[in-house]
Amino acid sequence: MHPLNWAIVIAYLLYVSIDGIRRAKGTSKLDGYFLGNRNLPWWVVGLSVMATQLSAVTMIGTTGQGAVDGMRFVQFYFGLPIALVILGVTIVPFLHRAKVYTAYEFLERRFDAKTRSLTSFLFLLSRGLSCGTIIAAPAVVFSAIFGWPMLWSVALIGVPTVLYTMIGGVQAVAWTDVKQIILVISAVVAVVVVLLIRIPVSPDAALHLAGAVGRLRVFDFSFNLHETYTFWSGVIGGTFLMLSYFGTDQSQVQRYLTAKTVDEARSSHLISAYWKIPLQALILMVGVLVFVYYVFVMPPMYFNPAQGAAVQRANPAAYTQLEREHAAAWVGRERAAMALTVTPDSTSRDAFRASERELARVRTEALAQAEKVTGAPPVDVNYIIPRFVLAELPLGLAGVFIAAVMAAAMSAVAGELASLSSTTVIDFYKRWVRPEADDAHYLRISRAATGAWGIFACAVATFAATLGSLIEVVNRFGSFFYGSILGVFLLAMVPRTRANGAFFGLIAGLASVALVSVGAPSVSYLWYNVVAALTVVAAGLLLSAWTPRPRAHA
Amino acid sequence: MNGEGTKSAPFRRVLVRVLVAEVVVLLLLWLLQQRYTV
Repeated sequence: MHPLNWAIVIAYLLYVSIDGIRRAKGTSKLDGYFLGNRNLPWWVVGLSVMATQLSAVTMIGTTGQGAVDGMRFVQFYFGLPIALVILGVTIVPFLHRAKVYTAYEFLERRFDAKTRSLTSFLFLLSRGLSCGTIIAAPAVVFSAIFGWPMLWSVALIGVPTVLYTMIGGVQAVAWTDVKQIILVISAVVAVVVVLLIRIPVSPDAALHLAGAVGRLRVFDFSFNLHETYTFWSGVIGGTFLMLSYFGTDQSQVQRYLTAKTVDEARSSHLISAYWKIPLQALILMVGVLVFVYYVFVMPPMYFNPAQGAAVQRANPAAYTQLEREHAAAWVGRERAAMALTVTPDSTSRDAFRASERELARVRTEALAQAEKVTGAPPVDVNYIIPRFVLAELPLGLAGVFIAAVMAAAMSAVAGELASLSSTTVIDFYKRWVRPEADDAHYLRISRAATGAWGIFACAVATFAATLGSLIEVVNRFGSFFYGSILGVFLLAMVPRTRANGAFFGLIAGLASVALVSVGAPSVSYLWYNVVAALTVVAAGLLLSAWTPRPRAHA
Repeated sequence: MNGEGTKSAPFRRVLVRVLVAEVVVLLLLWLLQQRYTV
């Protein structure tokens, strides 16, 4: 990478670290450290919520998915505005008025300590690991592209983030998030503009090319429980997932607890409600346009340079043969694309589709060869955008984009670390180990917990090198617990639910996810949330009906 | 959006606006699909 691009990346890292640490003012008490003294403006909270949700996986994985699979992934977010609307009138006012530090603290007030502890333990388990994957996503790609050891890439993202989160607490996280989301959106918009300028046909013709091979197919109305991204899985499964994520996941709850009033907490969610789907569509569009760009500019056979080099070393003859076939297939596709642009009829459309299938066949063969040589499943999709950025973007903009990928990773990781730390300290340390101590003591423990979770996340990231499509891994892992946790919070709103009903209902929910995840019955992972939440509610209500009402003490 | 959900506007009206905005966005995506996917 050019020194100017490096300078931009380093300047960004320095700025964000200093800015985060500067925000440590006013965090000498737990309220300041974990909740920003409940005094952050609604728009800061709202942008911070968006930034936490948008990780480097989105910048690398989602854009790559747009290039190979088109726009249909956007259906995943269709339930989000619906979920935020429901939360605005249910859980948000409930938790905000309860004046709690964590969402799980509320569960002890409503049920008992064991329900609180199991729920917060499940949160720590899933978020602790997913925090590692969030760092791993860009780190794997940076390592392959720049030829660094994995540890360097992990440290570059992890160390500044852990540092400013540890020192500045949630206030530092929220204010740096604002700058990071602005950087991310600016970088995405700039890349779209550059792509539209560089693609040698009109935007309309470019979209016709993408549409001809299904890249602009957004909606799939089939009701297929095995298909991951359909309109129905997005609206129904997605609503349950987002209800759980925004309503009960401490990384999100902590954010709206920092708002001044219930109304400001609700307003902060409206930013995501209005803008999340358009933003995701724009991010997928980057991938779609990169696909069109590579119709006219020959793409590398392997976007992951490490895999290309491995195949070339192990089997030079096969590599040369594949490269020849790849070049021929690409030339065929480019000619077919030009023909379709000049004469947009069904014959040239069919010819373009056939040429696209031929190129896809060669690429599949090349990836199979890489898998044979390296023994690891090839995840070329995550390398498409970084390779494009480094090779094709104008000087300076590549640095901005790499900084934006880091910003996306850092904002997501910082939010997770703050929430992991608050849950560890409030729900475990303060609850079970040392209930009576002064704020200074808890603050020291909180900072230590943030640091310890940061080190844990970096260690997980260093070893999470080969993970399939990273975005699905993170979402899939969340779906194992999200639905069950949501079920417990739903039960909390039903007055007749008893503590044992909630606790054993939660266990029944986890068992139901274990069953469907091993295929009895088999459903796609977005439906896990629906299955688990409904099981928890049904089992919890049934068990509560059998449990005798506790006698009122005289 | 500024002030929505705060005291100046009843929250129910805001909720309707969010849902209308989502329908509009989905409609635009559907039109994009219809125009370019043959």
